[in-house]
Amino acid sequence: MYPIFTIVHRTRRSFLSLGRTALHWCKWTFRRRAWFILPALFLVSACEGRQSVLDPSGADARRLYDLALVLFVGAAVLWLLVGGLFVYVTRINPRAMSRRAAEALIIGGGVIFPVVLLGGLLIYSLPLMSAQRSAPDGMRIHVTAEQWWWRVEYELPDGSRVTSANELRLPVGQRTGLVLNAQNVIHALWIPALGGKADMIPGRETYLSFLPEKVGIFRGQCAEFCGASHALMAFEAVTMTPDAFAEWLDAQAKDALVPETPAAIRGAEVFAREGCGACHTVRGTPATGLVGPDLTHVGGRVSLGAGILGVTIDDFANWLGHTDALKPEVDMPTYDFLSQDDLIALAAYLEGLK
Amino acid sequence: MTDIRQIKNTSVYPSETTSVWRITFAPLVWALHFAISYGATALVCAKGGQVGALRLGLGGVTAVALLAIIWLAWRAWRHWDIVRDRDWENDAGTNEDRHQFLGHAAFLLAIISFIGVAYVSLPPLLIQTCQ
Repeated sequence: MYPIFTIVHRTRRSFLSLGRTALHWCKWTFRRRAWFILPALFLVSACEGRQSVLDPSGADARRLYDLALVLFVGAAVLWLLVGGLFVYVTRINPRAMSRRAAEALIIGGGVIFPVVLLGGLLIYSLPLMSAQRSAPDGMRIHVTAEQWWWRVEYELPDGSRVTSANELRLPVGQRTGLVLNAQNVIHALWIPALGGKADMIPGRETYLSFLPEKVGIFRGQCAEFCGASHALMAFEAVTMTPDAFAEWLDAQAKDALVPETPAAIRGAEVFAREGCGACHTVRGTPATGLVGPDLTHVGGRVSLGAGILGVTIDDFANWLGHTDALKPEVDMPTYDFLSQDDLIALAAYLEGLK
Repeated sequence: MTDIRQIKNTSVYPSETTSVWRITFAPLVWALHFAISYGATALVCAKGGQVGALRLGLGGVTAVALLAIIWLAWRAWRHWDIVRDRDWENDAGTNEDRHQFLGHAAFLLAIISFIGVAYVSLPPLLIQTCQ
Protein backbone atom coordinates (compact mmCIF):
# COMPACT_ATOMS: atom_id res chain seq x y z
CA MET A 1 0.00 0.00 0.00
CA TYR A 2 1.11 3.52 -0.79
CA PRO A 3 1.34 5.93 2.08
CA ILE A 4 -1.38 8.54 1.64
CA PHE A 5 1.24 11.26 1.26
CA THR A 6 2.67 9.60 -1.87
CA ILE A 7 -0.77 9.34 -3.41
CA VAL A 8 -1.55 13.00 -2.74
CA HIS A 9 1.84 14.02 -4.05
CA ARG A 10 1.47 11.98 -7.23
CA THR A 11 -2.04 13.23 -7.84
CA ARG A 12 -0.86 16.79 -7.47
CA ARG A 13 2.03 16.15 -9.85
CA SER A 14 -0.23 14.62 -12.48
CA PHE A 15 -2.59 17.59 -12.20
CA LEU A 16 0.35 19.94 -12.72
CA SER A 17 1.50 18.08 -15.82
CA LEU A 18 -2.09 18.32 -17.12
CA GLY A 19 -1.93 22.06 -16.65
CA ARG A 20 1.36 22.22 -18.54
CA THR A 21 -0.18 20.26 -21.42
CA ALA A 22 -3.08 22.69 -21.56
CA LEU A 23 -0.72 25.68 -21.68
CA HIS A 24 1.34 23.99 -24.38
CA TRP A 25 -1.81 23.52 -26.46
CA CYS A 26 -2.67 27.20 -26.10
CA LYS A 27 0.77 28.17 -27.37
CA TRP A 28 0.36 26.20 -30.58
CA THR A 29 -0.08 28.24 -33.69
CA PHE A 30 -3.40 28.11 -35.47
CA ARG A 31 -1.74 26.57 -38.52
CA ARG A 32 -0.68 23.55 -36.51
CA ARG A 33 -4.02 23.25 -34.76
CA ALA A 34 -5.85 23.39 -38.09
CA TRP A 35 -4.61 19.89 -38.83
CA PHE A 36 -6.73 18.71 -35.90
CA ILE A 37 -9.71 21.01 -36.38
CA LEU A 38 -10.32 20.42 -40.10
CA PRO A 39 -10.83 16.63 -39.81
CA ALA A 40 -13.17 17.34 -36.88
CA LEU A 41 -15.31 19.45 -39.23
CA PHE A 42 -15.68 16.45 -41.53
CA LEU A 43 -16.88 14.40 -38.54
CA VAL A 44 -19.55 17.03 -37.88
CA SER A 45 -21.03 16.39 -41.33
CA ALA A 46 -21.65 12.80 -40.17
CA CYS A 47 -24.27 14.17 -37.75
CA GLU A 48 -26.81 14.47 -40.54
CA GLY A 49 -28.86 11.51 -41.61
CA ARG A 50 -32.03 9.52 -41.12
CA GLN A 51 -30.90 7.78 -37.95
CA SER A 52 -29.40 10.71 -36.11
CA VAL A 53 -30.46 12.40 -32.88
CA LEU A 54 -28.50 15.42 -34.13
CA ASP A 55 -30.78 15.83 -37.14
CA PRO A 56 -34.26 15.96 -35.53
CA SER A 57 -37.34 15.65 -37.75
CA GLY A 58 -39.99 15.34 -35.05
CA ALA A 59 -41.19 17.62 -32.24
CA ASP A 60 -40.02 15.17 -29.55
CA ALA A 61 -36.60 14.63 -31.10
CA ARG A 62 -36.22 18.41 -31.33
CA ARG A 63 -36.93 18.79 -27.60
CA LEU A 64 -34.37 16.10 -26.80
CA TYR A 65 -31.87 17.75 -29.13
CA ASP A 66 -32.34 21.09 -27.36
CA LEU A 67 -31.91 19.35 -23.99
CA ALA A 68 -28.70 17.69 -25.19
CA LEU A 69 -27.41 21.01 -26.54
CA VAL A 70 -28.15 22.86 -23.28
CA LEU A 71 -26.46 20.12 -21.25
CA PHE A 72 -23.45 19.89 -23.54
CA VAL A 73 -22.85 23.63 -23.76
CA GLY A 74 -23.44 23.95 -20.02
CA ALA A 75 -20.99 21.15 -19.29
CA ALA A 76 -18.41 22.76 -21.59
CA VAL A 77 -18.78 26.14 -19.84
CA LEU A 78 -18.46 24.45 -16.43
CA TRP A 79 -15.40 22.55 -17.59
CA LEU A 80 -13.78 25.75 -18.80
CA LEU A 81 -14.62 27.53 -15.53
CA VAL A 82 -13.20 24.76 -13.35
CA GLY A 83 -10.19 24.38 -15.63
CA GLY A 84 -9.63 28.14 -15.59
CA LEU A 85 -9.88 28.21 -11.81
CA PHE A 86 -7.39 25.39 -11.68
CA VAL A 87 -4.90 27.20 -13.88
CA TYR A 88 -5.45 30.31 -11.75
CA VAL A 89 -4.65 28.67 -8.42
CA THR A 90 -1.73 26.58 -9.69
CA ARG A 91 -0.10 28.94 -12.22
CA ILE A 92 -1.29 32.51 -12.03
CA ASN A 93 -1.81 32.97 -8.31
CA PRO A 94 -0.45 29.93 -6.42
CA ARG A 95 -0.39 31.68 -3.00
CA ALA A 96 -2.57 30.62 -0.08
CA MET A 97 -6.09 32.06 -0.17
CA SER A 98 -7.65 33.86 2.76
CA ARG A 99 -9.97 31.73 4.82
CA ARG A 100 -12.88 33.97 3.87
CA ALA A 101 -12.23 33.59 0.11
CA ALA A 102 -11.74 29.85 0.40
CA GLU A 103 -14.98 29.41 2.32
CA ALA A 104 -16.86 31.61 -0.13
CA LEU A 105 -15.51 29.43 -2.94
CA ILE A 106 -16.42 26.14 -1.24
CA ILE A 107 -19.87 27.17 -0.02
CA GLY A 108 -20.69 29.26 -3.10
CA GLY A 109 -19.14 27.04 -5.79
CA GLY A 110 -19.52 23.71 -4.03
CA VAL A 111 -22.97 23.99 -2.45
CA ILE A 112 -25.13 26.90 -3.59
CA PHE A 113 -24.16 26.93 -7.28
CA PRO A 114 -24.71 23.18 -7.92
CA VAL A 115 -27.97 23.17 -5.93
CA VAL A 116 -29.39 26.06 -7.95
CA LEU A 117 -28.03 24.72 -11.26
CA LEU A 118 -29.28 21.14 -10.73
CA GLY A 119 -32.61 22.47 -9.46
CA GLY A 120 -32.98 24.57 -12.62
CA LEU A 121 -32.06 21.61 -14.83
CA LEU A 122 -34.60 19.39 -13.03
CA ILE A 123 -37.35 21.98 -13.52
CA TYR A 124 -36.41 22.30 -17.21
CA SER A 125 -35.98 18.60 -18.02
CA LEU A 126 -38.60 16.78 -15.91
CA PRO A 127 -41.58 17.93 -18.03
CA LEU A 128 -39.74 16.59 -21.12
CA MET A 129 -40.07 13.05 -19.75
CA SER A 130 -43.85 12.99 -19.76
CA ALA A 131 -43.98 14.98 -23.01
CA GLN A 132 -42.42 11.96 -24.75
CA ARG A 133 -45.57 10.04 -23.81
CA SER A 134 -48.19 12.72 -24.53
CA ALA A 135 -51.65 11.45 -25.42
CA PRO A 136 -52.14 11.10 -29.21
CA ASP A 137 -54.45 13.37 -31.19
CA GLY A 138 -54.27 10.98 -34.15
CA MET A 139 -54.37 7.21 -34.24
CA ARG A 140 -52.85 4.55 -31.99
CA ILE A 141 -50.49 1.93 -33.34
CA HIS A 142 -49.78 -1.31 -31.46
CA VAL A 143 -46.20 -2.52 -31.89
CA THR A 144 -45.12 -5.90 -30.55
CA ALA A 145 -41.43 -6.78 -30.62
CA GLU A 146 -40.55 -10.34 -31.63
CA GLN A 147 -37.20 -12.07 -32.12
CA TRP A 148 -36.17 -10.26 -34.38
CA TRP A 149 -38.92 -8.32 -36.06
CA TRP A 150 -41.78 -5.94 -35.32
CA ARG A 151 -45.50 -6.80 -35.40
CA VAL A 152 -47.32 -3.55 -36.26
CA GLU A 153 -51.09 -3.07 -35.95
CA TYR A 154 -52.86 0.18 -36.86
CA GLU A 155 -55.95 0.75 -34.72
CA LEU A 156 -58.83 2.13 -36.78
CA PRO A 157 -61.51 4.40 -35.22
CA ASP A 158 -63.94 1.43 -35.03
CA GLY A 159 -61.41 -0.54 -32.97
CA SER A 160 -60.47 -3.00 -35.72
CA ARG A 161 -56.80 -3.36 -36.60
CA VAL A 162 -54.81 -3.38 -39.84
CA THR A 163 -51.80 -5.65 -39.49
CA SER A 164 -48.40 -5.00 -41.02
CA ALA A 165 -44.80 -5.64 -39.99
CA ASN A 166 -41.31 -4.19 -39.83
CA GLU A 167 -42.34 -0.74 -40.94
CA LEU A 168 -44.00 2.19 -39.21
CA ARG A 169 -46.00 4.72 -41.21
CA LEU A 170 -46.83 7.99 -39.48
CA PRO A 171 -48.82 11.03 -40.64
CA VAL A 172 -46.92 14.34 -40.44
CA GLY A 173 -48.36 17.03 -38.13
CA GLN A 174 -50.36 14.59 -35.98
CA ARG A 175 -49.35 13.05 -32.70
CA THR A 176 -49.52 9.28 -33.11
CA GLY A 177 -49.48 7.06 -30.01
CA LEU A 178 -47.55 3.82 -29.88
CA VAL A 179 -48.71 1.05 -27.54
CA LEU A 180 -45.68 -1.17 -27.05
CA ASN A 181 -45.37 -4.77 -25.98
CA ALA A 182 -42.94 -7.66 -26.45
CA GLN A 183 -43.42 -11.34 -27.14
CA ASN A 184 -40.52 -13.09 -25.43
CA VAL A 185 -37.66 -10.91 -24.20
CA ILE A 186 -37.19 -7.20 -23.51
CA HIS A 187 -36.68 -5.02 -26.58
CA ALA A 188 -36.71 -1.24 -27.02
CA LEU A 189 -38.07 0.96 -29.78
CA TRP A 190 -36.04 3.93 -30.92
CA ILE A 191 -36.34 6.23 -33.94
CA PRO A 192 -33.58 8.73 -33.12
CA ALA A 193 -34.68 11.32 -35.68
CA LEU A 194 -38.30 11.33 -34.48
CA GLY A 195 -38.31 11.08 -30.71
CA GLY A 196 -37.58 9.26 -27.50
CA LYS A 197 -36.88 5.64 -26.73
CA ALA A 198 -39.05 3.18 -24.80
CA ASP A 199 -38.53 -0.31 -23.45
CA MET A 200 -40.80 -3.06 -24.71
CA ILE A 201 -41.43 -5.54 -21.91
CA PRO A 202 -43.23 -8.92 -22.18
CA GLY A 203 -46.57 -8.77 -20.39
CA ARG A 204 -46.50 -5.04 -19.82
CA GLU A 205 -47.73 -2.18 -22.02
CA THR A 206 -45.52 0.86 -22.41
CA TYR A 207 -46.27 4.01 -24.38
CA LEU A 208 -44.48 6.43 -26.65
CA SER A 209 -45.76 9.05 -29.04
CA PHE A 210 -44.38 10.84 -32.06
CA LEU A 211 -45.20 14.11 -33.76
CA PRO A 212 -43.27 14.00 -37.08
CA GLU A 213 -42.56 17.35 -38.71
CA LYS A 214 -41.10 16.32 -42.06
CA VAL A 215 -42.02 13.86 -44.80
CA GLY A 216 -39.26 11.31 -45.14
CA ILE A 217 -37.97 7.81 -44.42
CA PHE A 218 -36.19 7.44 -41.09
CA ARG A 219 -34.53 4.47 -39.55
CA GLY A 220 -35.49 2.86 -36.28
CA GLN A 221 -33.61 0.27 -34.32
CA CYS A 222 -34.14 -2.13 -31.44
CA ALA A 223 -32.21 -0.44 -28.64
CA GLU A 224 -32.10 -3.19 -26.03
CA PHE A 225 -30.03 -6.33 -26.54
CA CYS A 226 -32.51 -9.08 -27.39
CA GLY A 227 -30.47 -12.02 -28.70
CA ALA A 228 -28.22 -13.13 -31.55
CA SER A 229 -29.73 -10.91 -34.24
CA HIS A 230 -30.41 -7.86 -32.07
CA ALA A 231 -28.26 -5.65 -34.29
CA LEU A 232 -30.28 -6.85 -37.31
CA MET A 233 -33.60 -5.82 -35.78
CA ALA A 234 -34.24 -2.48 -37.42
CA PHE A 235 -37.16 -0.95 -39.30
CA GLU A 236 -38.08 1.96 -41.50
CA ALA A 237 -40.32 4.77 -40.24
CA VAL A 238 -42.06 6.41 -43.18
CA THR A 239 -43.63 9.81 -42.46
CA MET A 240 -46.31 10.88 -44.94
CA THR A 241 -48.76 13.74 -45.47
CA PRO A 242 -52.08 12.93 -43.72
CA ASP A 243 -53.81 12.43 -47.10
CA ALA A 244 -51.15 10.06 -48.41
CA PHE A 245 -51.22 8.21 -45.09
CA ALA A 246 -55.02 7.75 -45.22
CA GLU A 247 -54.75 6.47 -48.79
CA TRP A 248 -51.95 4.09 -47.84
CA LEU A 249 -53.89 2.76 -44.82
CA ASP A 250 -56.95 2.10 -47.01
CA ALA A 251 -54.79 0.06 -49.37
CA GLN A 252 -53.19 -1.81 -46.46
CA ALA A 253 -56.60 -2.83 -45.15
CA LYS A 254 -57.41 -4.56 -48.44
CA ASP A 255 -56.63 -8.20 -49.24
CA ALA A 256 -53.49 -9.18 -51.11
CA LEU A 257 -53.22 -8.64 -54.85
CA VAL A 258 -53.85 -11.75 -56.95
CA PRO A 259 -50.66 -12.83 -58.79
CA GLU A 260 -50.81 -12.17 -62.54
CA THR A 261 -47.44 -12.98 -64.16
CA PRO A 262 -46.64 -16.68 -64.81
CA ALA A 263 -43.65 -16.50 -62.43
CA ALA A 264 -45.76 -15.00 -59.64
CA ILE A 265 -48.56 -17.58 -60.16
CA ARG A 266 -45.96 -20.36 -59.89
CA GLY A 267 -44.54 -18.60 -56.81
CA ALA A 268 -47.96 -18.63 -55.13
CA GLU A 269 -48.08 -22.40 -55.72
CA VAL A 270 -44.62 -22.83 -54.15
CA PHE A 271 -45.76 -20.66 -51.21
CA ALA A 272 -48.75 -22.98 -50.61
CA ARG A 273 -46.79 -26.20 -51.26
CA GLU A 274 -43.96 -25.33 -48.86
CA GLY A 275 -46.41 -24.50 -46.07
CA CYS A 276 -45.38 -20.86 -45.72
CA GLY A 277 -48.96 -20.10 -44.65
CA ALA A 278 -48.44 -21.99 -41.40
CA CYS A 279 -46.40 -19.05 -40.12
CA HIS A 280 -47.34 -16.16 -42.41
CA THR A 281 -50.63 -14.50 -43.26
CA VAL A 282 -51.44 -13.33 -46.78
CA ARG A 283 -54.96 -11.96 -46.42
CA GLY A 284 -57.36 -13.20 -49.10
CA THR A 285 -55.52 -16.55 -49.37
CA PRO A 286 -55.58 -19.69 -47.20
CA ALA A 287 -52.33 -18.50 -45.55
CA THR A 288 -53.33 -17.37 -42.04
CA GLY A 289 -50.29 -18.14 -39.86
CA LEU A 290 -49.53 -15.71 -37.04
CA VAL A 291 -46.03 -16.83 -36.05
CA GLY A 292 -44.13 -14.67 -38.54
CA PRO A 293 -44.69 -11.26 -40.13
CA ASP A 294 -47.88 -10.56 -42.10
CA LEU A 295 -46.93 -10.68 -45.81
CA THR A 296 -50.15 -9.32 -47.34
CA HIS A 297 -48.40 -6.24 -48.72
CA VAL A 298 -44.75 -7.18 -48.15
CA GLY A 299 -43.70 -6.09 -51.66
CA GLY A 300 -44.92 -2.56 -50.96
CA ARG A 301 -42.67 -2.03 -47.97
CA VAL A 302 -39.39 -0.15 -47.97
CA SER A 303 -37.32 -2.95 -46.48
CA LEU A 304 -37.23 -6.71 -45.95
CA GLY A 305 -36.11 -8.79 -42.96
CA ALA A 306 -36.65 -5.94 -40.47
CA GLY A 307 -34.61 -3.24 -42.13
CA ILE A 308 -31.72 -5.30 -43.50
CA LEU A 309 -32.55 -5.75 -47.21
CA GLY A 310 -34.38 -3.91 -50.01
CA VAL A 311 -37.52 -5.31 -51.67
CA THR A 312 -36.37 -6.27 -55.18
CA ILE A 313 -36.87 -9.84 -56.47
CA ASP A 314 -33.14 -10.42 -55.88
CA ASP A 315 -33.52 -9.33 -52.26
CA PHE A 316 -36.41 -11.76 -51.70
CA ALA A 317 -34.47 -14.61 -53.33
CA ASN A 318 -31.40 -13.75 -51.25
CA TRP A 319 -33.47 -13.73 -48.05
CA LEU A 320 -35.25 -17.03 -48.80
CA GLY A 321 -32.04 -18.81 -49.80
CA HIS A 322 -29.80 -17.49 -46.98
CA THR A 323 -32.18 -16.70 -44.14
CA ASP A 324 -30.04 -17.96 -41.28
CA ALA A 325 -26.87 -16.42 -42.70
CA LEU A 326 -28.58 -13.02 -43.01
CA LYS A 327 -30.23 -13.23 -39.60
CA PRO A 328 -28.46 -15.73 -37.29
CA GLU A 329 -30.67 -17.94 -35.09
CA VAL A 330 -33.89 -16.69 -36.69
CA ASP A 331 -36.87 -19.07 -36.37
CA MET A 332 -37.64 -19.03 -40.10
CA PRO A 333 -36.03 -21.98 -41.95
CA THR A 334 -33.65 -21.36 -44.86
CA TYR A 335 -35.22 -22.42 -48.18
CA ASP A 336 -31.92 -23.25 -49.90
CA PHE A 337 -33.28 -26.68 -50.90
CA LEU A 338 -35.70 -25.11 -53.41
CA SER A 339 -34.74 -25.27 -57.08
CA GLN A 340 -33.44 -21.97 -58.44
CA ASP A 341 -36.59 -21.60 -60.58
CA ASP A 342 -38.91 -22.18 -57.60
CA LEU A 343 -36.88 -19.73 -55.49
CA ILE A 344 -37.07 -16.98 -58.10
CA ALA A 345 -40.79 -17.66 -58.65
CA LEU A 346 -41.47 -17.42 -54.90
CA ALA A 347 -39.46 -14.19 -54.79
CA ALA A 348 -41.46 -12.81 -57.73
CA TYR A 349 -44.74 -13.67 -55.98
CA LEU A 350 -43.71 -11.94 -52.74
CA GLU A 351 -42.28 -8.92 -54.55
CA GLY A 352 -45.63 -8.57 -56.37
CA LEU A 353 -47.59 -8.34 -53.07
CA LYS A 354 -47.66 -4.55 -53.23
CA MET B 1 -8.13 4.52 26.06
CA THR B 2 -10.64 6.18 28.31
CA ASP B 3 -14.10 4.73 28.14
CA ILE B 4 -16.55 7.53 27.44
CA ARG B 5 -18.78 6.26 30.25
CA GLN B 6 -16.03 7.02 32.75
CA ILE B 7 -16.00 10.73 31.96
CA LYS B 8 -17.56 12.38 34.97
CA ASN B 9 -18.88 15.73 33.83
CA THR B 10 -21.46 14.64 31.22
CA SER B 11 -24.16 16.39 33.19
CA VAL B 12 -22.81 19.82 32.27
CA TYR B 13 -24.71 19.55 28.99
CA PRO B 14 -27.66 17.36 29.89
CA SER B 15 -28.97 17.18 26.31
CA GLU B 16 -25.74 15.50 25.20
CA THR B 17 -26.97 11.91 24.90
CA THR B 18 -30.17 12.92 23.09
CA SER B 19 -28.41 15.20 20.63
CA VAL B 20 -26.50 12.26 19.15
CA TRP B 21 -29.89 10.98 18.12
CA ARG B 22 -31.02 14.41 17.09
CA ILE B 23 -28.53 14.72 14.23
CA THR B 24 -30.31 11.80 12.53
CA PHE B 25 -33.76 13.43 12.65
CA ALA B 26 -33.50 15.61 9.52
CA PRO B 27 -32.16 12.77 7.30
CA LEU B 28 -34.88 10.57 8.83
CA VAL B 29 -37.55 13.04 7.69
CA TRP B 30 -35.94 13.01 4.23
CA ALA B 31 -35.97 9.19 4.18
CA LEU B 32 -39.61 9.05 5.26
CA HIS B 33 -40.62 11.62 2.63
CA PHE B 34 -38.70 9.65 0.00
CA ALA B 35 -40.33 6.33 0.96
CA ILE B 36 -43.83 7.85 1.09
CA SER B 37 -43.36 9.63 -2.27
CA TYR B 38 -42.10 6.57 -4.12
CA GLY B 39 -44.41 4.08 -2.40
CA ALA B 40 -47.59 6.14 -2.86
CA THR B 41 -46.76 6.93 -6.51
CA ALA B 42 -46.06 3.28 -7.33
CA LEU B 43 -49.28 2.16 -5.65
CA VAL B 44 -51.55 4.81 -7.16
CA CYS B 45 -50.10 4.41 -10.67
CA ALA B 46 -50.23 0.59 -10.57
CA LYS B 47 -53.82 0.54 -9.28
CA GLY B 48 -54.99 3.33 -11.59
CA GLY B 49 -55.97 5.70 -8.76
CA GLN B 50 -56.52 9.46 -8.68
CA VAL B 51 -53.32 11.16 -9.83
CA GLY B 52 -54.64 14.59 -8.83
CA ALA B 53 -55.29 13.46 -5.26
CA LEU B 54 -51.86 11.81 -5.16
CA ARG B 55 -50.11 15.01 -6.22
CA LEU B 56 -52.06 17.04 -3.70
CA GLY B 57 -51.30 14.55 -0.93
CA LEU B 58 -47.59 14.48 -1.78
CA GLY B 59 -47.62 18.29 -1.79
CA GLY B 60 -48.97 18.20 1.77
CA VAL B 61 -46.42 15.61 2.89
CA THR B 62 -43.66 17.73 1.32
CA ALA B 63 -44.84 20.87 3.13
CA VAL B 64 -44.88 19.04 6.48
CA ALA B 65 -41.45 17.52 5.83
CA LEU B 66 -39.91 20.87 4.85
CA LEU B 67 -41.38 22.61 7.93
CA ALA B 68 -40.10 19.82 10.18
CA ILE B 69 -36.61 20.12 8.67
CA ILE B 70 -36.63 23.91 9.04
CA TRP B 71 -37.56 23.50 12.70
CA LEU B 72 -34.80 20.90 13.22
CA ALA B 73 -32.32 23.18 11.43
CA TRP B 74 -33.28 26.06 13.74
CA ARG B 75 -32.78 23.85 16.81
CA ALA B 76 -29.40 22.70 15.48
CA TRP B 77 -28.36 26.28 14.70
CA ARG B 78 -29.02 27.27 18.31
CA HIS B 79 -27.15 24.17 19.42
CA TRP B 80 -24.11 24.98 17.29
CA ASP B 81 -24.08 28.48 18.82
CA ILE B 82 -21.92 29.98 16.09
CA VAL B 83 -23.32 33.51 16.41
CA ARG B 84 -22.41 33.90 20.09
CA ASP B 85 -18.89 32.48 20.27
CA ARG B 86 -17.74 32.55 16.58
CA ASP B 87 -16.11 29.21 17.24
CA TRP B 88 -15.94 27.33 13.91
CA GLU B 89 -13.67 24.54 15.00
CA ASN B 90 -15.10 22.45 17.80
CA ASP B 91 -12.23 19.98 18.00
CA ALA B 92 -10.94 20.36 21.55
CA GLY B 93 -12.69 17.24 22.88
CA THR B 94 -14.40 19.14 25.68
CA ASN B 95 -18.07 18.68 26.41
CA GLU B 96 -18.84 22.13 25.07
CA ASP B 97 -17.06 21.38 21.82
CA ARG B 98 -18.75 18.01 21.49
CA HIS B 99 -22.08 19.69 22.09
CA GLN B 100 -21.49 22.41 19.50
CA PHE B 101 -20.00 20.00 16.97
CA LEU B 102 -23.15 17.89 17.07
CA GLY B 103 -25.20 21.03 16.49
CA HIS B 104 -22.97 21.93 13.54
CA ALA B 105 -23.31 18.44 12.02
CA ALA B 106 -27.08 18.40 12.59
CA PHE B 107 -27.40 21.81 10.90
CA LEU B 108 -25.46 20.70 7.80
CA LEU B 109 -27.48 17.46 7.63
CA ALA B 110 -30.68 19.52 7.84
CA ILE B 111 -29.55 21.58 4.84
CA ILE B 112 -28.86 18.53 2.68
CA SER B 113 -32.13 16.94 3.84
CA PHE B 114 -34.01 20.09 2.83
CA ILE B 115 -32.44 19.95 -0.66
CA GLY B 116 -33.19 16.22 -0.92
CA VAL B 117 -36.87 16.68 -0.02
CA ALA B 118 -37.20 19.65 -2.39
CA TYR B 119 -35.70 17.67 -5.32
CA VAL B 120 -37.80 14.56 -4.63
CA SER B 121 -40.93 16.73 -4.63
CA LEU B 122 -40.23 18.11 -8.12
CA PRO B 123 -41.42 15.13 -10.26
CA PRO B 124 -44.98 15.04 -8.78
CA LEU B 125 -45.05 18.83 -9.06
CA LEU B 126 -43.99 18.94 -12.73
CA ILE B 127 -45.31 15.66 -14.15
CA GLN B 128 -49.10 15.51 -14.33
CA THR B 129 -49.64 11.86 -15.23
CA CYS B 130 -48.33 8.40 -14.38
CA GLN B 131 -46.86 8.14 -17.89
